[in-house]
Amino acid sequence: MDDLQFRRKIYADPNGKDEDLLAALQADPAKQDFANELNKLDDRLREAMKVSVPDGLSEKLILRQTFASHQQKKRKSRVHLALAASVAIIAGLAVNYLQFSSSYSNLGDYALAHVYHEQDLFSNSDNAQVSLTRLNQKMSTFDGSFKQSMGELISADYCRFDGMKSLHLVYKGITDTVTVFVVPNRDDIDFRDSFNDSKLHGEAIGFKHANVIVVADKNESLTKWQRAINNNISWST
Amino acid sequence: MTAQVSNIMATKQVRYEALVKALHTDLYRYAYWLTHDKQVSEDLVQETFLRAWRALDSLKDEKAAKSWLITILRRENARRFERKRFEMSEYEEASVMDTQSTSTEQEIENHWLREKIAQLPPEYSEPLVLQILGGYSGEDIATMLNLNKNTVMTRLFRARNQLKEALDEQPISRGRYNG
Repeated sequence: MDDLQFRRKIYADPNGKDEDLLAALQADPAKQDFANELNKLDDRLREAMKVSVPDGLSEKLILRQTFASHQQKKRKSRVHLALAASVAIIAGLAVNYLQFSSSYSNLGDYALAHVYHEQDLFSNSDNAQVSLTRLNQKMSTFDGSFKQSMGELISADYCRFDGMKSLHLVYKGITDTVTVFVVPNRDDIDFRDSFNDSKLHGEAIGFKHANVIVVADKNESLTKWQRAINNNISWST
Repeated sequence: MTAQVSNIMATKQVRYEALVKALHTDLYRYAYWLTHDKQVSEDLVQETFLRAWRALDSLKDEKAAKSWLITILRRENARRFERKRFEMSEYEEASVMDTQSTSTEQEIENHWLREKIAQLPPEYSEPLVLQILGGYSGEDIATMLNLNKNTVMTRLFRARNQLKEALDEQPISRGRYNG
C-alpha cells in the first residue's frame, strides 16, 4: 500500500479494520501516530457533534403520539357511533316492516291464524254485549253499516288484521263462535274467497270498500252467514 | 377481543416509548447536522416519530431501529424541501448555531468545530456524521444514503481532509492541539 492509498484509507475511516490498512499500520510507527492523531480528531468531532438536545424532547414526542392516537381513537369511536346509529335505524325499519307488513300471503291463512290466536278470549256461552248501534259506530270507519243484527254479537273491536286496522266481530254460533272480519281492501295480499283447515272454514266476500271474512267451525253454514251479510251490509259511498 | 387489542396497543406504546427514549438524542443530533436549525430539527424528529408510530409494526428487528428512523427522517427532510424550497447559505447556517457568551475552552473549541462541520458541503458532512456519531460502517452508510461504498469512502476522506486542514490553519486550535 503506497502512502497515497494509506492516506485515503485512514482519512476515510481512522478506525478501519481493513487488512491492508492494519498491515501498513503494523509496519510503520509514523503511520500509527498519524492514525492516532486522526482518532483524536474524531473524538473532538464527536464531542462537537453532540449538540444539546432540547429539554423534554422525549416527553414531548411521547405526548404528541398519545394525542395523535387519541384523536385517531376519537375518530374511530365516531365511526362506531355512526355504525350503531345505522344499526338502530335498520332495526327500527325492520320492526316497522315486520309489524306492518303481511307475513301471510293470503287472507285466509291470516284469518285462521287470527282466530286461533284469540279463540280463548271468547266463548260461545258469553252473553251478547254489543248493540247494533255500537256496531255501526265502529263500522262507520269503513263507511259501512248493518241494517239489522245478524245474531248475538259477543264482541266488536278494532284489531290489526295483518297490519291493517280492521273490525273484528265475534258472533254466537251453533256450537262455537263465528268470527267476522271487516278488512280494508289491499292489493298486496292474495284474496281468496274460501279456505279451511281441519277444524275451521272460512269465506271472504269482496266488496268495493272492504273484504268481509267469515270464519267458523264446520258445523256452521257459511252460505247462511254470507247471505246474511250480503243482505244486511250497506256502504255509504 | 377488545382486551387483546388494548393489550397489543399497550405493548406498542411500550415499544414506542422505549424507542423514543433510546434514540431521540441521536435522531435529533442527526437532524441538526442535516438542517443546521434547532426548530426544524425538532419538527423533523417529531414528524419522524409520528410516522414511526404508525409504521411501528413493520419494524421487526430492534437493532435496525436507528437506521430505520434515520431513513424516515431523511425522507421527511426531503419532503420539507419539496414543500418549500427555501435556500440557506452555508454562512447563515453556521450563524444559527448556538453561541454561548460564557464558555469553557472545550465549548469554545466545540463551537469552532461545529462551524467547520457546518461549512462542509452536505454531501460530505452527512456521511461523516453517520460515521462518527452514528457509528456506522462505510457499507451501512452507503446503504442508507443509497450510494456506492467507494463514493462514501471518498466523501469521508474529503470531509476529514478539509476539517484537518482547517484545524491545522487555526493557530489557537493548533496551539491547544500541540500543547
